[in-house]
Amino acid sequence: MSNLSDRQLLKELRLRLDESNKAKTELQNLSKDYQEVSRKLSESESLKSHFISNISNEIVNPFTSILGLSKAILSVEKNDWKKVVSMVALIHSEAFNLDFQLKNIFVAAKIEAGEIAPNITKVNIKSLIQNIIDSFNVVSRKMGITIDLQYNIDYGFGKNLYFKNDSEKLKLILSNLINNALKYSYKDSNIILRVSIEDDVLQISVQDFGTGISEKNQKIIFERFKRLDSGINSINRGHGLGLSITKSLLDVLDGTITIDSKKGEGSTFSISLPEARNMIEGFSGEGNDIFFDDDDEIF
Amino acid sequence: MTRNYLQYFLYPSSLFVSKEPYVVKTILGSCVAICIWDKRLKIGGMNHYMLPNWNGNDLASPKYGNIAIDKLINKLLSLGSKKEDLIAKVFGGGDMLEGKQANSYLIGERNIRVARILLEERDIPVVASSTGGKRGRKILFFTDSGEVRHKLLEKKVY
Repeated sequence: MSNLSDRQLLKELRLRLDESNKAKTELQNLSKDYQEVSRKLSESESLKSHFISNISNEIVNPFTSILGLSKAILSVEKNDWKKVVSMVALIHSEAFNLDFQLKNIFVAAKIEAGEIAPNITKVNIKSLIQNIIDSFNVVSRKMGITIDLQYNIDYGFGKNLYFKNDSEKLKLILSNLINNALKYSYKDSNIILRVSIEDDVLQISVQDFGTGISEKNQKIIFERFKRLDSGINSINRGHGLGLSITKSLLDVLDGTITIDSKKGEGSTFSISLPEARNMIEGFSGEGNDIFFDDDDEIF
Repeated sequence: MTRNYLQYFLYPSSLFVSKEPYVVKTILGSCVAICIWDKRLKIGGMNHYMLPNWNGNDLASPKYGNIAIDKLINKLLSLGSKKEDLIAKVFGGGDMLEGKQANSYLIGERNIRVARILLEERDIPVVASSTGGKRGRKILFFTDSGEVRHKLLEKKVY
């Protein structure tokens, strides 16, 4: 070390200076990241407390309605049976909503616990979508909204496309999108559901003509517990988990979601979902097919 | 020899811990999987995360390293493990993207770094690892013996 020339010394010093500069920028970036995350954490803490009040509304209100209505039914006179029909319809729609929201919450818990895995079967896309639309029938009829299904797939057996995917997760994804569309639509309007397929990638879009989402808000709506308080029919409705669940579920299925929206003109949410494949040949998720190769390394 | 084992395929963003002897398998690219094994109780678990740190936006799922590592440790602790009995093996973190794009993200490397830092902070020794490189990996983890069978893949899947 002692016999370094000045030139070498200078070079070495410059090198070390560069390195320390690099380390400094990296540290600066990291501390910026850190500050950002800690800001997010405190934000999410306050969102979480909102969430708890939202969620108790979401669960307690339907229960109260169901209990009240069923009690009313019990005391209805026999010749007044026509009243019962409308009450049963109300019970159904409250129970439906409760079931839907609970499913969302349980799935969110499962995702956060890391217990979510795709369960792939052959799914009849057309009947799956029709079933979901039917399940929202009571709600949509009440609001005078027609859900228009534009099914643009011409092949398959009787135009029934059998698509390898996870039907339960797909159902929840679409239910959330349709539920949102209904929530942010004006009375007596339309929701358009477009279904098509390109190169084994399923494309589904849900378009509403409701309030729309400003560009600033489009960036944050996928964050958990976030709700935009601009929905017409959404006063104290919803827990703000729907879209973040949707996104996490799409993650599991390798899909993506995009928004196209203009404030005041409605929104279109489009998802694209590739057909599920076995993760690697001879090494599927389901099969009982582990075999050892001789060149396995053992740790 | 695998006849006696129940099998579990671990998908990305999830984690698995069991008291029963299982063989847990997974495929890794730039993701990192950490196998933690309790040498006293002879039980273990594995996670499989895709990104190093939770961004505070999405659900706080084990897709993110810092969350996945703590969740895995906590699950083992809740099964009766003691922290001092735990050992870890770290795999994955390959550099899967081609060209210049790869350098700017360094997902694999950052995933590995999170594993090293957090495991050291929590005093869990890393007794074996195979990380980095340009290829994907196949991992089989035996939760009763703590043994991991590892193979580099030819094809670049994931």
